[in-house]
Amino acid sequence: MATSNPTFEQAEELLSSRPANLWRDTLRNILSQRSAQVGLVLLGVVILMAVFAPLIAPFNPNAVMLDLGQTRTEGAFRNAPPCIHLLGCSPAYTQHLLGLDSNLRDEFSRVVFGAQVSLRVGFLTVGMAIMVGTVLGAIAGFAGGWADNIIMRLMDVLLAFPALVLAIAIVVVLGPGLVNAQYAIAIVAIPVYARVMRASVLSIKERDFVTASRALGESSAGILWRRILPNALTPLIVQGTLGIAGAILDVAALSFIGVGAQYPQAEWGSMIGAARNVVFVAPWLVMGPGAMIAVTVLGFNLLGDGLRDALDPRLNR
Amino acid sequence: MLRFILRRLLLAIPVLFGVIFVVFALSRMIPGDPCRAQLGEKATPAVCESFLHRYGFDQPIPVQFGVYLGSLAQGDLGTSIKYGRPVTTVLWERLPVTVELTILALLFATVLGVTLGVLSAARRNSIFDVGTMFFANIGVSIPVFVLGLILAWLFGVVLRDSPISLPPSGRFTAGIVPVPLTQAWGLTGLQGPLRAIADFVGSTAILNALLTGQWKVLGDALRHMILPAVALGTIPLAIIARMTRSSLLDVMGLDYIRTARAKGLSERLVVLKHGLRNALLPVVTVIGLSLGGLLSGAVLTETIFNLAGVGRTLVDAITGRDYPVIQGMTLVTAVMYLVINLVVDVSYAYLDPRIRLT
Amino acid sequence: MVAVLGLVLAACGGTGQSTSPSASVSTPPASSGPFTAMTYPEQAVDCTANGYHGEFKQIKAVDEHTVEFDLCYPDGSFLSKIAFTAFQIQDSDYLNQAMANHLILAKPVGTGPYMLSDWTRGDSITLVKNPNYTGDNPPKVDTVVIRWSDQAAQRLVELQSGTVDGIDNPGTDDIATIKSDSSLKLYPRAGLNVFYLGMNNNPKVDGFDNSKNPFKNEKVRQAIAMGIDRQRIVTNFYPDGSTVADYFTPCEISYGCVGDKWYDFDATAAKQMLSDAGYPNGFTTTIALRDVVRSYLPDPTSIAQEIQTQLKNNLNITTTIDVQESGTFLDNASAGKLTGLHLLGWGADYPDQTDFVDYHFGPGASDQFGDKFPDLIDEIKKGAQSSDDATRQAAYEQVNKLIKQHVPMVPIAHGASATAFQADVEGAYAAPLTDERFYTMKPGDREQLVWMQNAEPISLFCGDETDGETFRLCEQINEGLYTYEIGGTKAVPDLATECTPSSDNLTWTCKLKEGVTFSNGATFDANDVVNSYALQWDVSNPLHIGRTAAFDYWGALWGDFLNKEPAS
Repeated sequence: MATSNPTFEQAEELLSSRPANLWRDTLRNILSQRSAQVGLVLLGVVILMAVFAPLIAPFNPNAVMLDLGQTRTEGAFRNAPPCIHLLGCSPAYTQHLLGLDSNLRDEFSRVVFGAQVSLRVGFLTVGMAIMVGTVLGAIAGFAGGWADNIIMRLMDVLLAFPALVLAIAIVVVLGPGLVNAQYAIAIVAIPVYARVMRASVLSIKERDFVTASRALGESSAGILWRRILPNALTPLIVQGTLGIAGAILDVAALSFIGVGAQYPQAEWGSMIGAARNVVFVAPWLVMGPGAMIAVTVLGFNLLGDGLRDALDPRLNR
Repeated sequence: MLRFILRRLLLAIPVLFGVIFVVFALSRMIPGDPCRAQLGEKATPAVCESFLHRYGFDQPIPVQFGVYLGSLAQGDLGTSIKYGRPVTTVLWERLPVTVELTILALLFATVLGVTLGVLSAARRNSIFDVGTMFFANIGVSIPVFVLGLILAWLFGVVLRDSPISLPPSGRFTAGIVPVPLTQAWGLTGLQGPLRAIADFVGSTAILNALLTGQWKVLGDALRHMILPAVALGTIPLAIIARMTRSSLLDVMGLDYIRTARAKGLSERLVVLKHGLRNALLPVVTVIGLSLGGLLSGAVLTETIFNLAGVGRTLVDAITGRDYPVIQGMTLVTAVMYLVINLVVDVSYAYLDPRIRLT
Repeated sequence: MVAVLGLVLAACGGTGQSTSPSASVSTPPASSGPFTAMTYPEQAVDCTANGYHGEFKQIKAVDEHTVEFDLCYPDGSFLSKIAFTAFQIQDSDYLNQAMANHLILAKPVGTGPYMLSDWTRGDSITLVKNPNYTGDNPPKVDTVVIRWSDQAAQRLVELQSGTVDGIDNPGTDDIATIKSDSSLKLYPRAGLNVFYLGMNNNPKVDGFDNSKNPFKNEKVRQAIAMGIDRQRIVTNFYPDGSTVADYFTPCEISYGCVGDKWYDFDATAAKQMLSDAGYPNGFTTTIALRDVVRSYLPDPTSIAQEIQTQLKNNLNITTTIDVQESGTFLDNASAGKLTGLHLLGWGADYPDQTDFVDYHFGPGASDQFGDKFPDLIDEIKKGAQSSDDATRQAAYEQVNKLIKQHVPMVPIAHGASATAFQADVEGAYAAPLTDERFYTMKPGDREQLVWMQNAEPISLFCGDETDGETFRLCEQINEGLYTYEIGGTKAVPDLATECTPSSDNLTWTCKLKEGVTFSNGATFDANDVVNSYALQWDVSNPLHIGRTAAFDYWGALWGDFLNKEPAS
């Protein structure tokens, strides 16, 4: 009696509950990947930098050194080279690990605080893109027919433009600023997630257990939430992680051109853009934030690679 | 196969229309008016009124869109407000620069990338392999503009007095004036499509110099293009190297490779002849996909190295509210990108019959 | 794929230069056959009819070497205006051939010391010595190559590596580098511009109650004039060579710095005056600006914040900073819609007081500062209409005194810039009007001079251009009746040997140089002058084409066009 006609509740339980160890196993799988390990370490550094920025940075990132009167008179000149006490700079002078930028602000502090901006930008942008993209992809996959066609054509239109070109155009329309740059990059990134979601929906829609659930009276929304989303989660997470790396690069590019973060905000891309004119006399002003962008992007890339290797059962390398 | 191509083409039409609409809408939504941007900020309201009237910008937007569509149908991309010449002319002058840069970057990325990928796969887990993949990872993570600036600084300033110094900007050294193809070959009387192609080739620096035998110009142009091509091509290089390596490793584990080895063929023959050919399939896809990124990156590279290409002109046009140029160049770029994607899809479907059925 | 695109584009629109047949012009060709003197227009314009408020009544060639300009009203700055680059002289035949098909934009023909040899778009322009040049300024080097980059760092690197001989606008941070390099030489350039803090004594905003407007009170404006430490702003934010503006107009311009200097900075007295005016605790207002860098405003947001701090500390005036989009901001300013303070400036078009004070405070000025001041307008008119030195001096002394009294705005700074050259370039300099002439320069024993400026010229027909980078090129190739002296702002004869006014100042007669030919061999005569002016002046002239047919500077300097479309 117990096994021949399972009740709805029992079927539910079988279908929905993943054994708790599955999560633990997945995590262990991820952490065993070398790339994920390195990625997490790098990201750990960046996250620590962002969280403890007020403690790590010796100065307020927007403070102009002239006002503070803490630098040597000859030293408070624009684009002053780094003064590191450990490396021989006289203790009489205030220490500036990466020197001063063109507006007499401490470059090191700005780099440290820039971590907050970049991380926030990366997560927000991808978050927005995923939210909109998954909704569109789900509708397209589920509804099929002309809704699917229209949505996918829209995504194609977005994908028809080289990403940076479209992003620049959108930002110029919305007006320069970091927030608008985030919107622009998010809009450009939507199609990727829409496609991932739609592919997941399509691949699962016709499977037996879905038909079974439907027959048992479960609503579409329920099916979406309980069956499809968990399956789509994996590629979304992988794409999302890689997407954060891309978003950070793209927003930095927009800020470099001048349409992203505005003065005096300490964002790595706009710092490089501001230093562009003095790169030949003060290259460290480009190398500092540039290296940080590279480290952060590398971290997300490695993490994404590790996730993909761990979570995708087809790739057994 | 034909049905596949036709279906793709048919699907591309509404996308193309969508692109045209988006381009038009975006360019008109840019705040600020073209009069001030073109005539300078001291332009009086009266002057601006007649300026806007002359270019039809005072018509209601739907009318302007209709006019735009009509001229597009005739292949007329309009006249640039800034340059006073047809957009197609301006485009034809600047496209060769971008194409040259992109092709050089792609060549650099492909040749070096495939080589490194093959070598890494052949010496799996050796120092070479680990080192190459490490640098490949970094290469993917460095922004194009950072790399470009650092390279310009290194080779233009630090190494200025050494024999390997490279110019940090521009296409030619002052005083070196290239003779375009049409002049060198006496083709100035030519008209029509052939003339257009000749003009295009004539505006390239390297190809033109090569074909007309201007060796000094060729050398100068190459020297100027090295840094931009390397800066632009580094990200695709890293991607292609990684993809080649992983794809080759995948293939090398397959049975038919084992057969080839068992047959007694040399390792090199096994890898290059049997392994590579099949491993290159995903690499081809990756190359096709990189082209979009290359076009985006070209915008930044052209800005840093002061090259007058499509990307740079587009950004200038956006600042200057030069609507015909914004619309025309964005449209052409998008169309090129669509065509490239289509070609990549078709070739991939040709090479892998399973795709055709989706 | 390139081939496909090429086929499509060529089939549809073609890419080469379109050659349409040259427009037929009703005026006789000027340089072939017996000379037929032109008069334009045939019937002199009725200065009072049809809402015409232009300066010219008629322009006529009296004989081959004499031109007469009949004016509707006297103009003391006439010589300064005809020296302006936009009014250089073109060859009549060439105009007929090359205007309608826009060829003249890319292939100019002129009487100047250089002529165009090559224009590689996007990359460089090459000029060579004009073999037909017979003037007083033969070039010292045969070839000049002009390149451009909008990045100061790139310009500096090229200069340091020796690939260029001279650059324009080195960056502020590069000045020290150039000074300390003995192989380079810096030439500071006085700023023919002014940066000011504007106030509106009667904004034109619906529902705005002007009785509550603090800037309506002249004492308030005077208090602000005294309460800003302008020296500190210049020292901290402006490049070397910039000066505090003691008058509205820079001193390099004749009659700019005559009369009383501006108030000294005195925070205590200023606060007292503000209190006496009825604001013992200050007041609250806005500072409007646009975030656009100009030579008069190198760092808009920093300077705005500095002024905000000063107003608070010195006068207890609290402000919020309102950054607007450039075009919107300019529109708001000239429509009188900015109710608080605003930051703006002005760069000289042509070096005369009329370009500065008339535009801002004269009878035709916009509503930027609110209600105009009749006594100031009177003095401005006196200065504009006389060409007598003593009269103009006296008038502008009064103008400066009245500006100081009424304080429509507080002038703050004249922003400097510079050029830099290789130390062995003889004859190098920086021109206040940014019209450096290359014929004075000899680059050591090199055979070509390479110059790098900020941007590519837009076209080479300067009648329809407004951009300084473009004008500099035209100055090498074409000439006007007068020109500006080397390194200065005074107008001196060029193609004319002399232009003299009649006793009522309503007619100017110019005697032209003889034996001058254009680079294409055509002879220069009076009809060329008439045609060059007429095509800009008359909207219905078949040659009124240019690049955009806006002829912006004609309207700004000469007041009005002939046969313009009636305002809708």
